[in-house]
This record gives sequence, structure tokens and C-alpha cells, in this order.
Amino acid sequence: MFDIAPDHAVGLYAGLLALPFAVLALKFRHAAASRVPGTVLGASVLMATSGAIHLGLVWTHLEEGVTAVLFVLNGIAYLALSQLFTWRWWRPASAALIAGTLLGYLVYIVLGFDGPDQVAIATKLIELLALALVLVPVRGETSRRKLRWRTLGVAIPVLTVMTVAVVWIDALARPDERHAHAGALLQATNEVATPGQEAAAQKLYNDTSSAIAPYRDWRKAWADGYRPGGSQTMPSTHWMNQRYVDAGYVLDPRHPQGLVYANTKHGPQLLGAMFQMKRIGEFGPDPGGPVTAWHQHENICCTPLGFEFSLMTPTATCPLGAIAITTPAMLHVWIVDNPSGRFAVDFDEKLVRKIDQA
Amino acid sequence: MLLLMQGLFWLIAGISAAPFVLGGEVFMAALSVATMLLALATLLVGIGVLWRRRRARGLAVALEVVCLFGSAVLLLLPIGFNGGPVSLMVNVALPIAVIILLRKSEAEAFS
Repeated sequence: MFDIAPDHAVGLYAGLLALPFAVLALKFRHAAASRVPGTVLGASVLMATSGAIHLGLVWTHLEEGVTAVLFVLNGIAYLALSQLFTWRWWRPASAALIAGTLLGYLVYIVLGFDGPDQVAIATKLIELLALALVLVPVRGETSRRKLRWRTLGVAIPVLTVMTVAVVWIDALARPDERHAHAGALLQATNEVATPGQEAAAQKLYNDTSSAIAPYRDWRKAWADGYRPGGSQTMPSTHWMNQRYVDAGYVLDPRHPQGLVYANTKHGPQLLGAMFQMKRIGEFGPDPGGPVTAWHQHENICCTPLGFEFSLMTPTATCPLGAIAITTPAMLHVWIVDNPSGRFAVDFDEKLVRKIDQA
Repeated sequence: MLLLMQGLFWLIAGISAAPFVLGGEVFMAALSVATMLLALATLLVGIGVLWRRRRARGLAVALEVVCLFGSAVLLLLPIGFNGGPVSLMVNVALPIAVIILLRKSEAEAFS
């Protein structure tokens, strides 16, 4: 969702290239352009941009016959309507085309024919804005003014929320193979671990579990500089050691940057360790191949009030006061029986409840 | 229209934080409510601009300047802020467009 699909990049270039030409086209048609309001001209430019993006995508979708034909028809229709703004039926035709395109894309996403990426989401935002500009009544217009305001007031919020919701649900429900769960990008590795990698992973596990054994007593962790990050009303809390983070130890079992504790009624119970790289975008050494793949959390909205987070929306927005960040790469080593695996990205929170009840 | 879209984006961000509040993130509750109130305020400012209220125009420009400044800081800091096309459109191009359009004379401004 936050990446640009390689076969969609050309659409982005086509759209950016078309933008100045769309503005120039209006300059050349000064006589016609001067007779229509600015909102119409704005919609014209946006529709021309969207049309160019669709036409640009044809070349990389030639093997998908139906999709390529739809891109051609859609692109031509957008470009034609972007220049026909003095036509009497321009508004209903444009509104129908944009709404149809938006809904058609959502059907494509739901049926799994395409996955959402930055080019697609950007195009949908351009189309939503174009639709709003097509529908908005302008000063001096008297006919169907109320109807247009009502249509605008319903269509834009409904279509915006629907588009964002479908894109987001699809991205969460059908993540690609490198996204372990929402926002966690896995390090690229070989597919199946070799015997050597299995042995290296086992050694890392043994070394780490024996090195952090003293931290089963949280007071020892506290004495060594580990501090809980955020609320302890959550099932588990990461305790970070800023000294080890700053020192930049790399996959050193004696100096894990973080410890993970379950918050139980008996107090913090050690679940495992977390190794963290110092710089964003750098994955650490991966002795166990796919078994010990690092991960980084991308586009998460982090609150300055403790270690709490939500996910950035597909429209790249965070709640007020939360900061969108990408974390440095990290690797967990779970010393309790985690059904997802000893080095899994997540810890099963049901297990935390079980530990709590024990 | 741009303010309407921006208000909707914030509304979605506010709503999207709600599941995390249910998961026990107490501070996120305050941010979620604050974001939805900001969304409402943005929509009201948009209506004010439509009604040619001078104060609403001033508020809208101030809001966008703050947004733009915040986005610039986040983009410049090495924290891995998203710099993709959608982020640039929503967090940079949209505020710039609103500022430019509102700085135009009233007769020229889009509704």
C-alpha cells in the first residue's frame, strides 16, 4: 500500500508529465476557459492527469487484456472530457465517469485483480477531488443548486471513506509475502533455511536465552538500565535500554537493546529479547536466514505520550499529535513457547493471558 | 473542497485510532477524539470560507501553514517519515494549494 508497484511507476511519470500539458491546453483555449469557473478548470486538469495515468498503465498491463482495454477506454474518456468542459452535459458525464472509475477500481481490489499501491491511491485522490470540483455549484449558477450540494455532501464523504476503507482492508487482509503483519516489513531472505542456518538460529536462541535469564527478575533489568516504554496496562511491554541502543551493539546476545515483558498480576514476566539496529533502513546480520529475518515497522503513528501507536491511514495521515515513523530493524527472540515461532514478529497475546492465569 | 477532503482524511485518522484505544492504548483515546474534533473544525472552516468569512480564511491559512511546517519538519528529520506520492499530495501539495487559493482575491478563489 505504501510502495509503488513496478508496473505502476510508469503511470506516475505519465501523470506528472501530463500535468503541465493539461494546464497549457487551458491556456491555448483561453476563450473557452475564460467562460467557465475555476472549479471546472481545476477538474479539467485533474481529469487530464488521471487520464494520462490510465493511458500510461496500458503498456505494463498488455498481458492483462481486459484491464488494458479498460485503461485505454478510461484514459481516452478522461482526456476527452477534460477538454469538453463547455459541453452542456459535461457535469453529469464527468461525474458518472469518475464515480464509475472509482467504484470499478474498488471492485477490482475486492476481487483481487489488483493490489493497492501509491500510484493507485494517488490517482483515486485526484479523481475524488475532480469529482468534488465537478459537482460543486459555483457562484451565479441557479439551476439544480440544492441538488448538487446534496449530491456533493453525500457522494464525496461516502466515496472517500469507502475508497480508503476498501484499500486499507485489502492491504491488511492480503499483505504481500514480505509484510508479516500490518506495517512490519520483513528482511528479504532465501525461502527455506539451510541446515547451517537452522544451526545458527539455534545457537542464537541458546546464547540469547541464557544471557537474558537473569532478567526474569525485572529488578535486575531495571538495575541494568532497561526501562518500560509506555503503558503497562497492555498485555506486554517493551523495556528498552537506551545505553545499548546508543552503543549500536549488533545482534549481541549479552546486550539486547530491548526486553519484552508480559504484564501479569504477578508483575512483569520475561517473554524474550529484542535486538534493534541503530539506523533506520538497515537490516542486521541474519545468521538463520528465513528463521531469523529482521523486520521493521513502517508508517506507524507513534504518540509522544508513551510507547503507543496506531497505523498510518492509506491517505498518509496520523491522529493529531502522533508522529509517522519507521522504526529501525528489529529481531525478537522469544524464550517462552510462542506458537508463531521463536523469532516471530509478534507474540500471541492469548499466551500472555494464559501466563497471567497460571 | 480541499478543506472538505482534508477534514475527511483527519476524520478517518481519528476513527482508525479507535481500535488501538480498545486494545488498551489510553493516550491514543485523547488523540483520536482531538483528531475528530480537528476534522470537524476543518469542515466548519471550509464552510466559513465558502460563506466568504474573512476569519475563516485566516484560520484556514493558519491551519495549513502549521500543517506544512509540521510536514516539512517530519520530512527533514531522520525518522523514516513517509515521502511517497500520497503523503506528498496530502501533507504538502494540499496545504500549499489551499494557501495559494485563499491568498487569491475573493473573486478569483475557488468555492
